[in-house]
Amino acid sequence: MKDLLKALPWIGPAVALIAAVVLFPVGLMFWNSTRDISQSGVDDGGVGLANFATVVGFQYFWPILGRTVVWVVVVVGCTLIGSLALAALLNKAFPGRRLVRMAVIVPWAASVVMTTLVVHYGLEPYFGIINSFLVDVGLISTPEGYGWTRHPGTAFAWAMVVAVFVSLPFTTYTILAGLQTVPGETVEAARIDGAGGLRTYFSVVLPQLRGAVSVAVLINIINVFNSLPILRVMTGSIPGYDADTIMTMIFKYMQNQRQIDLASALSVIAFLVVIAIVAVYVRVVRPLEEV
Amino acid sequence: MAQYRRLGGILAITLATTTGLTACGFGGTTSDEGTDGGSTTLDLLVPSYSDATQGQWNDVIAGFEEANPDIKVNLQVESWDNLESVIATKIQGGEAPDIYNGGPFAGFAEDELLYPVEDVTSDETYADFQPTFLENAQVDGTTYGLPFIASARALFVNDALLEEAGAEVPATWDELLESAKKVSELGGGVAGYGMPLGSEEAQAEAAVWLWGGGGSFGDSEAITIDTPENLAGAEYIKTMIDEGATQADAGATDRSPLFDIFVQGKIGMQVGLPPSVGQIESDNPDLEYSIHPIPTKDGEPFTLGVADHLMAFQNDGDKQEAITAFFDYFYTADVYVPWVQAEGFLPTTVSGSEALSGEEALAPFLEVLPDAQFYPTTNPDWAATDSAFKALFGQLDGDKSAKDVLAEIQDQVDAG
Repeated sequence: MKDLLKALPWIGPAVALIAAVVLFPVGLMFWNSTRDISQSGVDDGGVGLANFATVVGFQYFWPILGRTVVWVVVVVGCTLIGSLALAALLNKAFPGRRLVRMAVIVPWAASVVMTTLVVHYGLEPYFGIINSFLVDVGLISTPEGYGWTRHPGTAFAWAMVVAVFVSLPFTTYTILAGLQTVPGETVEAARIDGAGGLRTYFSVVLPQLRGAVSVAVLINIINVFNSLPILRVMTGSIPGYDADTIMTMIFKYMQNQRQIDLASALSVIAFLVVIAIVAVYVRVVRPLEEV
Repeated sequence: MAQYRRLGGILAITLATTTGLTACGFGGTTSDEGTDGGSTTLDLLVPSYSDATQGQWNDVIAGFEEANPDIKVNLQVESWDNLESVIATKIQGGEAPDIYNGGPFAGFAEDELLYPVEDVTSDETYADFQPTFLENAQVDGTTYGLPFIASARALFVNDALLEEAGAEVPATWDELLESAKKVSELGGGVAGYGMPLGSEEAQAEAAVWLWGGGGSFGDSEAITIDTPENLAGAEYIKTMIDEGATQADAGATDRSPLFDIFVQGKIGMQVGLPPSVGQIESDNPDLEYSIHPIPTKDGEPFTLGVADHLMAFQNDGDKQEAITAFFDYFYTADVYVPWVQAEGFLPTTVSGSEALSGEEALAPFLEVLPDAQFYPTTNPDWAATDSAFKALFGQLDGDKSAKDVLAEIQDQVDAG
């Protein structure tokens, strides 16, 4: 207790900052989710859990939740596999490696909205470059191309492609950093014992990457779950709710319908889902433990 | 130690999940109040329509101050994004501007903040407004907004494509279907009728069809979407799509990108706005096109109008004369018409329309302006209606029946 008091002047500003920018907004979100808030923002009193009932009772809620799970699992999974391969490649010495390493950073450095818009325009019928290409090589028979971003399934799939693309750099570099901590002796020893390339990678290198991979996956799960801009751009013009995840649904409640109370309720649900996923993950994988 | 590390991790995670929700802003501005040396000061708060807006207003104010040396005008220009938060902050702080240019006015009128228009304009100025626009600016029979600038819609027709297909410019839905099908049959990616039901402005295309069939979205009292009158238009949209008279994927096509295709000459007919004329002029001046009234079920002319308004705040109630002087000066055709013209919109006054009647490009719009119908923006549920159309109307392009789509929109409005 005495120690705590002594420490207070040093940790005080940090605690205050966390309270102001983390705890207060979370508290406000929880509070709003139990209120009836008019479109112009006037608080018309408490309604208990009615907002949650409305949100969960919405006929598209469960499909949206399921799609969110698919979104997170597929994007994080593909990102991880791609990053492991890329990191292994970039860890080898070859001419021009420095340039390739720089190139891998580009999707990270570019604005996500810009990257998505570039792909979105490429997919437009009539003038999109991807559509023109597919028409020219004869894969699409209609001369104006196919409306990739106009059908829920294809728009969602393309959004996943973009999400993987922009998630790759960070994951690759995290794993690359992990690869460089793998001692050369362990690989050498495996070779001497007669292990082939694949066997060495899966039995010797990969286990030593556990720390890097598990941290990368954890951060990716949070990022991808909370990702709005890619889906917003890719699926924004589609009517109905057949391409929505929880995040785009929160956005629709807030921006289109101006129902701050429902948006807050769904945010609380999203928040709890993320916390639950992370809690399970931290328990099972223990990414923050030393190897 | 492991415990602390986990705590740190959880804090980091909490941070990551909540930063997205902390982006809210509080903004405030102050303005000089009152009178100096016996002269009156009017505060004018306006949005920026284009880069030229501020200069336009400065010219108006310079002319007005010369004619009325005892009145000073303070101009404040804000972006459309900020405008509504700025006016709300000013009202809360008791510093409402004397004259404000914006869209919705019913909320201010209900809070009794505004002068009725008849109290701050001379009889001549008031009588000069187009009657349809005045009706649209009324709450419970009293006019609170001065119709400021207008926008209307008309059918843009690619004459070259229609001629090639041997099709006529349509006036009714049946003629439209026939002409559009002929143009679509040209092939090569050409579409007969450009139908944007995507979220960008689905409510506009909905109005074009549902109202053109004799329906409406309701009035200031009740929003009525799921009605037999509206069903006629919704079903005809389905017919157009099913018979291949429109571009592919009408349900998820946004208006602006689709109009780009029209400008490129790949679409036979599409509904456009006055600024569309300028777009064609700058992007593809060679396009052979003409502008016609929107086809309706029985050929009766109509257009979807949108109007922004000027409004006068009462504040202390001591500037009524100065405000009247300003409005009377501004709405003279010599001052008003150049303003409207520079911004590419349509005038809301009879004298303004007459002054612009020589403009060939605007003529088709001016012609239909007296028949303009408006969104029920004075209804508190309008925002919910607008978003329900954006989110759901495009489902007409799909397996859902027209009746189900209208019912779903009505449900969402009623729930909102």
